[in-house]
Amino acid sequence: MRLALAIGTFLILVIHGIVFYNQFFHKWERNQIAYFDQAKAMAKTDAERAALADRKPRIEQIVVSNFGETRIDRCTTCHIAADDPRFGTYAEPLKSHPYSVALGDTQKDGKWERRHKFSEFGCTICHDGQGRGLDPKYAHGEDEYWPDPMLGYTVQENWRKDFAPKLKGKEYMEANCAQCHTDPNFKGTPMVAKGRQLFFTSNCYGCHRIQGLSDGTIGPDLTDVGHKWKLDYLWARIADPKSVLATSIMPKFNLDDASIKALVVFLKSRKGRNFSETELQRFKDKTSGAGVVQSVLQPVEIKPGEMVKQGEKLISDRACVACHKLGDKDGGIAPDISFTGLLRDNDWVYEHFRAPRSRVADSIMPAFRFTDDEFKAMTAYLAGLRTPPAMPTPEATYKALCLRCHGEKGDGHGPIAEHLDPYPRDLTKSGFMNSKTMERLVNSIRNGVAGTSMPPWGKILDEAKAKALLDYIQTTFVKEPRRELKPHPVPEQNPVAMSTESVNRGEALFVNRCAGCHGKKADGKGANSLDILPRPRNLRNGAFVNSVSDQRLFDSILYGVQGTAMPNWVDYGLSNNDVGDLVNFIRSINPKPKGGEHAGSN
Amino acid sequence: MSPKTSKPTLWSTLKDMPMNVWRSIFRNPLPSNDLERSSTSFTNFFLHIHPVKVHKHSLKPSYTLGLGLISFFLFVILVVTGILLMFYYVPSTTQAYDRMLDLRGSVAFGMFLRNMHRWSAHGMVAVVFMHMCRVFFTGSYKKPREFNWVLGVILFLLTLFMSFTGYLLPWDQLAFWAITVGTAIAGYAPIVGKDIQFLLMGGTSVGQEALLRFYVLHVAVLPAVLVLFIAFHFWRIRKDGGLSRPEDADRIPAMEMAEEGVKPEPKRTYGLQGLVRGPLHKVGNVPDNTVFSWPHLFRAELFVFVVTLAVILVIALLFNAPLEEPVNVMHPPNPAKAPWYFLGLQEMVSYSAFWGGIGVPGLFVVMLLAVPYLDRGTAGVGRWFAKERLLANTIFLTFVIVNVVFVIIGTFFRGPNWAFVTPW
Repeated sequence: MRLALAIGTFLILVIHGIVFYNQFFHKWERNQIAYFDQAKAMAKTDAERAALADRKPRIEQIVVSNFGETRIDRCTTCHIAADDPRFGTYAEPLKSHPYSVALGDTQKDGKWERRHKFSEFGCTICHDGQGRGLDPKYAHGEDEYWPDPMLGYTVQENWRKDFAPKLKGKEYMEANCAQCHTDPNFKGTPMVAKGRQLFFTSNCYGCHRIQGLSDGTIGPDLTDVGHKWKLDYLWARIADPKSVLATSIMPKFNLDDASIKALVVFLKSRKGRNFSETELQRFKDKTSGAGVVQSVLQPVEIKPGEMVKQGEKLISDRACVACHKLGDKDGGIAPDISFTGLLRDNDWVYEHFRAPRSRVADSIMPAFRFTDDEFKAMTAYLAGLRTPPAMPTPEATYKALCLRCHGEKGDGHGPIAEHLDPYPRDLTKSGFMNSKTMERLVNSIRNGVAGTSMPPWGKILDEAKAKALLDYIQTTFVKEPRRELKPHPVPEQNPVAMSTESVNRGEALFVNRCAGCHGKKADGKGANSLDILPRPRNLRNGAFVNSVSDQRLFDSILYGVQGTAMPNWVDYGLSNNDVGDLVNFIRSINPKPKGGEHAGSN
Repeated sequence: MSPKTSKPTLWSTLKDMPMNVWRSIFRNPLPSNDLERSSTSFTNFFLHIHPVKVHKHSLKPSYTLGLGLISFFLFVILVVTGILLMFYYVPSTTQAYDRMLDLRGSVAFGMFLRNMHRWSAHGMVAVVFMHMCRVFFTGSYKKPREFNWVLGVILFLLTLFMSFTGYLLPWDQLAFWAITVGTAIAGYAPIVGKDIQFLLMGGTSVGQEALLRFYVLHVAVLPAVLVLFIAFHFWRIRKDGGLSRPEDADRIPAMEMAEEGVKPEPKRTYGLQGLVRGPLHKVGNVPDNTVFSWPHLFRAELFVFVVTLAVILVIALLFNAPLEEPVNVMHPPNPAKAPWYFLGLQEMVSYSAFWGGIGVPGLFVVMLLAVPYLDRGTAGVGRWFAKERLLANTIFLTFVIVNVVFVIIGTFFRGPNWAFVTPW
């Protein structure tokens, strides 16, 4: 017992010794003493020497309160010679900070004057790192938990080994220059300018919002992305989006390293703050919408004779194939546009460019910022793509035209299916397939389904080919023979006349009976919608609703849609008049297209 | 003392002063006989909480493992380091993390104090739990110690809560999300769950109000309550007749009795001792199995203290307390984990929010509190894993193992989206 006590007590003493030693003999003290000694040797006057002799090691710090939150920078505790020009050739940490004309430093009578005085700016405002830290590991931000490691100097341990070497270099510090020097043409930040240019030419702005620059909504808001993420994350996110987040739908843009670097610097400079403006100024800009840069892109001057060529160049330059398939380039996110000329007319393509959702109500394609002429040139190019793929057999036809959306197994889970809304039809559901007339199925193929991504294949597939394709689908995916269909007793025309009362009755019924799946706004996003495949129809998809006849609406409501979650409401007590009110309500929220009635009345 | 009653001179007054001061503080010399040994324990403020004599069985390291004492000493270390840390800490969302950085970087001994505090806190949760297991497996909660067991269970819960409230204070990602998860678990309680959550956080999410509340709980309310209950716990140990021991521990070997030439006294109680429960019915210098607390008990306590302190110091020197990124409410880590001692709960919550977070643990606590009033048998007290207590011990051991396994799964085997991963 006594021996154990003695050992324990001795251990306690030893640890106290170690802790006290660490506490009172800092590395930075040795640095400072070395500095005092060297400086004393260099001193020219006795007074200077005496002043140095009086100096004792202490924690040096710069308190910076001019830029946002107060910063405490203790970097000069180790880098004590940072502002002493005599130490220019010394090794770190006693090396003095170089002077540079690029930083705005000026030389007068052989003496340099700093533009950014350390006493005013501190260190971390340009370099990042942890100003409060005194241990080099923490101070430089090598600790994987520190959000701002020294820009371009420090690589953290957990960073991906293949990217880490690319993340070193002084260029990265331009991101911090841009915190104050926000002018897009500022000479000191060429990387930021290049990154900003790429942000537009690579169509990043279509999906991402950066306050004052863009307003995409598909991807995350990047306004303060530089504040949230470190260089390695930004690099990985651009170079290989899925490696960071398996569910990411961001295309892989296949940029070269120099371009990625410029984008990373640009994104790192987006910290959601701007030291050169006051809060009040920012608020005014935000509310007035002033100062919003619409685009840094120079519009291409379209010459009438070279429209197709210029359109082709625009499409290949502006990252369209990051999503779409065109020839052998495939972004794997959006439909094949290799033979657009056979599927869509010029009007459709042009209008779809200008406002994708005017043609496909729930399209995720952003409206990109091109001039009217540029849209027309791209339309002209796409309209010329009229070579159908080779497809000798119905199976080949399916693979060439249908598989991208409907999938290898015909179950609607094609490679790009998750980006489409409505989801591609599950062709293996015999309940659905066998309850629809052959005529309707052929019609869907040859004329497409309006308001959705199903294009009219009529110019590629004639009636016979469409039927052969349906036979192939029937035997390969449906796997059940078609049975004879008994037509349901539904009125051909809506028996209830359109009136405000009828619409109100229909709305009340809709909220009562339909909103659970189709949603209170009839947009197909009801509370149950996520549990259902295929998803409930968006009844505000004007193009679709207007293409459907009253008879079909009556049929679908009264007798349900087999193979989907839509029940036959005739069993739940809906009369023809009730359905008439509902149909009137649905029609009322979808304004008729100019100069035409919906298909049912033709 | 001295027969001479000469008038003290100035010189003799000064000369005797140090000794007089010493004697006025320590009224006894180092004890050399039994009377002085008794007196030392009895008249010293810090020692008088101890009995003058203590049963030999209570001093067996293999019986108690010193777990109760370790818990107490860890608490003492926590109070001391905690008070020192309080000098630097500011419970403000804008300052707390910077203060942590200062503690790590520039405050003298800051990092070391924080390490000691952190690891002692984790240690205390573990040791208090082990202490509870020890008490159960030796059947020590039985009559007359039922209520002290209840106090112990309350102390265990207080310790957990104490550690939980301290977890938030560094205001880093680890703290923020652990507390977000932890308070969300509380929110699953029926009827009052959401109110408790709101009361704890002072709002609907973890923010400035939550930080302030956790701080006040951590440094003022809970320590005060904990000290009160610890005192109560200790007092009950004395009044319940010391630590539990097997029935035969009081039996004096017949040979010894014969040597001393005494006959066993009739079992009677006398005077004040009548208020003290337990088999204390001896009068006069009857041989028994007790020894004087000075030096036996105090030496053992010193030993436990030195070992505890040494272990904590070594751990604090070798391992730094974690400090992750500053709080970012927009980016929860995946997975966001509660403190390790609640990971068993979180694991169960991943199966069923109500049953995992409230139902099972609530039932467990109620069972713990009720155990001494349900299990009324008197056999098997004072022995580890007594055969007579096979059923009770098996049930409790099962609970302990399940809990430990859940904690281990939650800590090491749960990755992003709470999916099962292997730690290697």
